[in-house]
Amino acid sequence: MTSESNITPVIKIDHVWKYFDELPALQDVSLNVYPGQRVVIIGPSGSGKSTLLRSINRLEEIDQGIIEVEGVDVHSREHDINRIRQNLGMVFQQFNLFPHKTVLQNLTMAPIKLRNTPRMEAEERALTLLKKVGISDKANVYPAMLSGGQQQRVAIARALAMKPDIMLFDEPTSALDPEMVGEVLDVMVNLAEEGMTMICVTHEMGFARTVADRVIFMDKGQIVEAGSPDDIFNNPHHPRLKQFLNQIL
Amino acid sequence: MVPERVAKAEKKDWAFINAWSLSLFGAIAALFTLCTLWPEPYLDVLSFLPDGLFVTFEVTVLSISCAVPLGLLTGLGRISKNRAINLLASTYVEIIRGIPLLVQIFYIYYALAKFLQVSGLTSAVIAISFCYGAYMGEVFRAGIMAISKGQSEAARSLGFNRFQTMFYVILPQAWRTILPPVGNECIAMLKDTSLVSVMAMPDLMQRGRSFAAKTYLYFETYTIIALIYLIITLLLSKGVSFMETRLNYYDKRK
Repeated sequence: MTSESNITPVIKIDHVWKYFDELPALQDVSLNVYPGQRVVIIGPSGSGKSTLLRSINRLEEIDQGIIEVEGVDVHSREHDINRIRQNLGMVFQQFNLFPHKTVLQNLTMAPIKLRNTPRMEAEERALTLLKKVGISDKANVYPAMLSGGQQQRVAIARALAMKPDIMLFDEPTSALDPEMVGEVLDVMVNLAEEGMTMICVTHEMGFARTVADRVIFMDKGQIVEAGSPDDIFNNPHHPRLKQFLNQIL
Repeated sequence: MVPERVAKAEKKDWAFINAWSLSLFGAIAALFTLCTLWPEPYLDVLSFLPDGLFVTFEVTVLSISCAVPLGLLTGLGRISKNRAINLLASTYVEIIRGIPLLVQIFYIYYALAKFLQVSGLTSAVIAISFCYGAYMGEVFRAGIMAISKGQSEAARSLGFNRFQTMFYVILPQAWRTILPPVGNECIAMLKDTSLVSVMAMPDLMQRGRSFAAKTYLYFETYTIIALIYLIITLLLSKGVSFMETRLNYYDKRK
């Protein structure tokens, strides 16, 4: 943490506000994420965690403030958001695999169409990624034939196929049967160990504790407390955080 | 008492008797019987019709190939966030849906004739395409809206732009919901081409009318005409349901 001041952040969130109609969803949120950092965002539902994450790749528009990814203002009309998004892998709660494509095609579609990667090369890389997430034997089946955990692992591989610098996870295990949570978290832990910059919204406190460099606690659209997992879980200050931790742990 | 297995087998044997097969084979049998027992009027009627059948198919195929793209554009226009495009598409749908097809056919035929020389075929195809384009626009719109928002979010987050997302991800999935109603619209379109007989297009209906007018054999002529339309539409509806099953390939848990 000491060297942070002289490294430029990959993601810079600066005094961001967002409203849903009249309701503030994000209130003056500021956050820097540095290369290789694993940031975990926790908080009660409706606290703006997902909104914040989704505004990083502009799936949500913001009303005020600046979000920069690798020095580029994401919400400025001057920049091609599609190009920026290629560098920001995203994993959704509901997997959102393309049901009309096989697992392999789910992984190769974006590199082939968007990066003009030769098919052979894209498929080779896709198979390597599928091996990495432990489902290389399912390359030619359709997503409907996979379990939730398998689908989410494919979704992670699909995002990785574009070789992103940063991965965003939006409650990746919340829609899974309990016995499948582990297999998805394992993949995420491996990814973290490889040095991927990750921002993860999750309710998995065990994951937050062991993997995160920095834990952010949000409530009512604000960052209430931020710190190392040790600070947040063993030495919480804010009463709202204490109350939250009491309820879930 | 009948053993269960036998009962099941018997049930299966009777499965071919349904509304569709009864109508189709009934119609074919009726046509065949009439023409063999009383070739005098019926076979004469039948032999007078092939030209008309060709025109009917011509109008139908041309109208489908214009109406489907028009419907797609209309559907996309109706969900567009661009206010001008959206308004244009919605107004088109409102107007077309409020005017009977027969009136549209007359209107376009005579309105176009005022400004430029167009054949009956051209104005028939324009009228029918415009009418069905509006109806199909609603089908396309509903089909596209039925695909979950997560699909387009996933595509957009990978870096696909709006058009790529629509053509690579949304439409290929929406097509499944869209195809059966579009197929039915096409069948309805084939039937509605009989309306173009009012502007002297020599289609199946018009050929029948002129034959009946010459021979006074109204009952016999329209019996044959009805049977022919019925046989064609029944065959087409089977084609639609066959395509429907083919399009379900990715759902099956093999």
